[in-house]
Amino acid sequence: MTLEHCLILSAVLFCIGLLGAFTRRNAVVVLFSIEIMLNAANLNFIAFWRFSDNPDQLTGPLFTLFTIAVAAAEVAVGLALVIAVYRHFKTVDLEQLDTLKEE
Amino acid sequence: MTQEITFWVLAVIAVLGALVAVRRRNLIHGVFALMIFFAALSGLFLLLLAEFIAAVQILVYIGAVGILLLFAIMLTERVTGDDARDITSRGSFWGWAAALAVLVFLLLPAIQSADLAQTTQPHNPSVKALGQQMMDPYVITLEVLALLLTAALIGAVAASQGGEKTKEDIDDA
Repeated sequence: MTLEHCLILSAVLFCIGLLGAFTRRNAVVVLFSIEIMLNAANLNFIAFWRFSDNPDQLTGPLFTLFTIAVAAAEVAVGLALVIAVYRHFKTVDLEQLDTLKEE
Repeated sequence: MTQEITFWVLAVIAVLGALVAVRRRNLIHGVFALMIFFAALSGLFLLLLAEFIAAVQILVYIGAVGILLLFAIMLTERVTGDDARDITSRGSFWGWAAALAVLVFLLLPAIQSADLAQTTQPHNPSVKALGQQMMDPYVITLEVLALLLTAALIGAVAASQGGEKTKEDIDDA
């Protein structure tokens, strides 16, 4: 397990998240694709910290803790918005949410 | 050697879990695959000696985010099995192309060309040190984060309450 392996794994996971966010039409799936991307970034933080010269400074775990908290806030607000959108339009299909598009 | 094998097993589980989560037709199965992905990532954090982060990962992601996503799915779609409708958005070819292009032309070359550290320094995992760091140099960040979480909580409640009535509601009344 080298730093390079960790980074490649994290890049692959990020792109899987990107793929989900780009190609799925369900808003909830898009939200959890974003979670996958955020987790890939967390893996990078931890990997760089582990292979750094001074791991006792704990910068990696601290940054990861902060991103996890921000991601939790994001998912709470995101899901609340999805539910509000569902109440209004009776669907979470992103293809049908095109009110802003010019007819 | 064991470390090596554990890393590869966890990496394969994480990639498969993420792939199933984004491609599965049944949304509930997708969320469970996502939970497996989170668990594999937590194992990787343990392997990289970030044991507190591994615990937080399980608590926050599998415990809270996973359940929240399940609830959001149950409150919106009526999931009775595989989604028979088209699950991919229009122009999904460009989605595949963009995601693959980012991986192949942006991320992998960047990793290949970077001068990466090869050695690890010894490290004794300690939650006490983490707490001290958080309370001393990063205390402002911690406070801002607390504010953000409070604001997000209030915002989530306000957004999901929904004061506005839909057209159907007005017609029904």
